[in-house]
Amino acid sequence: MRQHGPLASRSGDRLYGYAGKILYVDLTDRRLTVLDTRDYLSWGGGHGMGSAVFFDRVPDKRIDGFHPDNVVTIMSSPLCGSLTPSASGRTEVQGIGVQTYPVGWFTRSNFGGRFSTLLKCAGWDGLALGGAADRPVWLDIRDGDVRIRDCDGLGLWGTDTWECQRLICKEVAGEGGPGGWVRPGAGEGCTTQRPAVLAIGPAGENLCRVACLIHETSCAAGQGGFGAVWGAKNLKAVSVIGTGGIEIADPAGLMRARLRQSREYGFDRENPRVELLSAVGRFYFAPKPGEFYGPLLGMPAPRPEGKRPKGCVGCQSGCRARYESGIGNEGTCTATRVYPGAENFEVAYTACDLTNRYGVNAYELHRGIPYLQELHRERVLGPRGEIPCDLDFSAYGKIEFFQALLEKIAYRKDPFGDALAEGFTRAAERWGRLEQDLRTGRLPFPYWGMPEHQYDPRTQVEWGYGSILGDRDINEHEFASIHLDSLQGLFPGQEPAAPAEDLVRIFTDRMEPYHRDPDRMSMMDYGTENIYSEHMAKLVAWHRHYTRFWKQSMLFCDWRWPDFVNIMQPDREGSSGVAEPAFFRAVTGRELSFGEGVELGRRIWNLDHAIWTLQGRHRDMVRYAEYMYTEPYPGLEGIPFMPYTLPGRTGGTWAYIDTSHRAIDRDGFEAFKTRFYRLEGWDPATGYPTRRTLEALGLGHVADELEAAGKLGIG
Amino acid sequence: MKERKKLPEGDVSSALTRRGFIKATGVVVLGAGAGVAIVGCGSDRTPVCAFTVPPSEGYLLVDTKKCQGCLTCMLACSLVHEGKTSLSLSRIQILQDAFARWPEDVSLEVCRQCVEPVCVLACPTGALTADREFGFVRRVCAERCIGCGRCVQACPQNPSRVLVAADDAFGGRAKSRKCDLCADTPYHWDPAGGGPHGKQACVEVCPVGAIAFTREIPEQSGDAGYGVNLRGAGWAKLGFPTDD
Repeated sequence: MRQHGPLASRSGDRLYGYAGKILYVDLTDRRLTVLDTRDYLSWGGGHGMGSAVFFDRVPDKRIDGFHPDNVVTIMSSPLCGSLTPSASGRTEVQGIGVQTYPVGWFTRSNFGGRFSTLLKCAGWDGLALGGAADRPVWLDIRDGDVRIRDCDGLGLWGTDTWECQRLICKEVAGEGGPGGWVRPGAGEGCTTQRPAVLAIGPAGENLCRVACLIHETSCAAGQGGFGAVWGAKNLKAVSVIGTGGIEIADPAGLMRARLRQSREYGFDRENPRVELLSAVGRFYFAPKPGEFYGPLLGMPAPRPEGKRPKGCVGCQSGCRARYESGIGNEGTCTATRVYPGAENFEVAYTACDLTNRYGVNAYELHRGIPYLQELHRERVLGPRGEIPCDLDFSAYGKIEFFQALLEKIAYRKDPFGDALAEGFTRAAERWGRLEQDLRTGRLPFPYWGMPEHQYDPRTQVEWGYGSILGDRDINEHEFASIHLDSLQGLFPGQEPAAPAEDLVRIFTDRMEPYHRDPDRMSMMDYGTENIYSEHMAKLVAWHRHYTRFWKQSMLFCDWRWPDFVNIMQPDREGSSGVAEPAFFRAVTGRELSFGEGVELGRRIWNLDHAIWTLQGRHRDMVRYAEYMYTEPYPGLEGIPFMPYTLPGRTGGTWAYIDTSHRAIDRDGFEAFKTRFYRLEGWDPATGYPTRRTLEALGLGHVADELEAAGKLGIG
Repeated sequence: MKERKKLPEGDVSSALTRRGFIKATGVVVLGAGAGVAIVGCGSDRTPVCAFTVPPSEGYLLVDTKKCQGCLTCMLACSLVHEGKTSLSLSRIQILQDAFARWPEDVSLEVCRQCVEPVCVLACPTGALTADREFGFVRRVCAERCIGCGRCVQACPQNPSRVLVAADDAFGGRAKSRKCDLCADTPYHWDPAGGGPHGKQACVEVCPVGAIAFTREIPEQSGDAGYGVNLRGAGWAKLGFPTDD
């Protein structure tokens, strides 16, 4: 992949923030190849590097995700392990997935914890895993010593994700848990830390399309079905332990930046403001475990017990917790809501643990289980139903029901379990009811066979657009956080972070390259008249580009960034736009403006889109499930009176308007697609990338490959 | 999770327990108020040397129940000392087990700046001293350190609060490192620097305030002296427990 842009490698430059090497593992031949990070430096790190490595290493992009030629990349960023606040702990996973429908798109997922830090301490910026082993193996990385090891020795194949990690930890560190100094590799380096392990459970081993990768108890690369992709490669786990360090360009500057961020944009430890719904903590960098807002969304209230917040490496404010009971350790967000209607908190959190141990995507279950309930209520599903199923629904709400369901899926027990192992969308197709259930919305899976995420395409339109124009449910909360925050006013003594107009102005003033457009604020008008407009197309394009670089390549955590609006500041102006380049500079010694990063994101997004096009993407495929066009959004979480408020302008006046009770207009959506494709420089007739756009981004060779495949757009 | 190390008895030249010292020498070690007087003896039990080790003018206290296990303190410690982030070169170590129950899932292993610094006594070159210039913090002079590791063995804590590793500044030769309350931090962010009268990176950077600095000498026996409750009303407001 050719060097291009402001981050292109310059000979003689010392690499700060990077380890300098990427490990390519050929599982078929059990061969290890060291790639030079400098060859991919212009992509920054994380997702950008992953897409570039994938493009180089996978000649035929049309292969199925289960094919041995599929390459899964696991990438850090230069900021990982650097103590950049809430940007030091994530790891990006990419490859051809198997979960989306009807095509398993080249896709991404991302998880927190310790993995990327330990990977860099071991001397690696990332891993690329290709081929398929002839028998179950695990990858044992100890600094520069890397071995592909058979699972037999430790009896790993068949274990759940937690047991797998425990066994590996004992093998590598010589004991089951943390303790004293150990020398894990052949070198002199010592550590007290224990290996960071990423593993699949039984679901991945049995090639369930809804299988995920698990690190620690609940750090999950959830979407994409990467658990099954690893299972097809006979890869059970990757373990990494490192005793090295990460060179920082400006150590004192990094400390100053970190302390300033905490002091001015963090939280007041003595008197923290408690936000009931604030955007998963986005406007306020305070520790807040995922169960904090659970009861507001129908979960059982947590019982009083001892706990601590738990943050990923370098996090400013832990979003997880560890508990006195040990149940639900590090579970957060939807992992803790995986079992709707769980009869109590303990069942809900045990369900979270089981989901992680079996290695199944929590969101698929969270939205799919109510679907099964409906089918059961209508006697379609049951011992004597059209869909034979021997689950005991009288036990619904208890842990026994949930575990029985998980076992069916993870082990493909009986035709019912086997169907669900393919995901709910393919299961519905197998049962002959996909078309009808997507028409009514009974199966709430609106884009690419992926479940709704609560931020509905009919209301939170940029979420839907980003998902359907991309490869998955985007799970990017930049603007969805505004919706949650705007609901604060429903509660006594609470108010949104800022009035709608002020909030929109703060956001759009920083959304380079549109930040100087006279009508930039219209990008965030969620009124029905505006959601198919050129303005909304710009918002969606900006969102794709920003997240591809700053979120998924530099790995600023979605739960804490961007920091556009911050309630610690009297004027509510947050640090984003200034903070990200400052931390990047302190770590790497290189200058990159916020806008340059967004432009790099455009390059990465275009590369991804080229891959999807090679996989068969055409604008005619880009459409939602039918119910999006015919069924108005009913209300938050299906509650009719719950508004879905977002900024909007009515008669020139900004307010938080209710965007509920509308569906997507079919013609409006098609017009939006045309506007979006033109804005991106793609062929509006097909959605294909064009040579002019690609060459301007230094991707002429990508255009060549598209042209050879007959997939190059005109224009 | 952690155990106090059992030390060999009787050998003055290596790590000593108090009991072992008395047994070997018949000499009582004086109390902590004005410093510890340690008297070495020859084979006929004749005192051959004596020196006073004043107590440190600063100590780190930790709240194990508050820590969020983010390792930021470890990254900051290595950053200000070494110019790079390195979990292996951090003078504070956070041990954790994601699968364990609170509060046993995390422990914060900090140097106690022991009133009776057996690491100082164990050093054969005088590289590890109670540094007068920095408030008698127990500190390694890298130039004099020969990387023998006796200080690591001497430390009564597990994991040892002293570590020996290759030092890039000395051509990769092994050198000892230990907590010096940020006295010797070429990459300190504050012009006033560190040490007992300056700012410590781990204290300043901890996002939740789980590490505190004190000038009061903590109770030396057991762990209670260094484990404190730093959780107040603000912590309770965030929904976390504040009881001991």
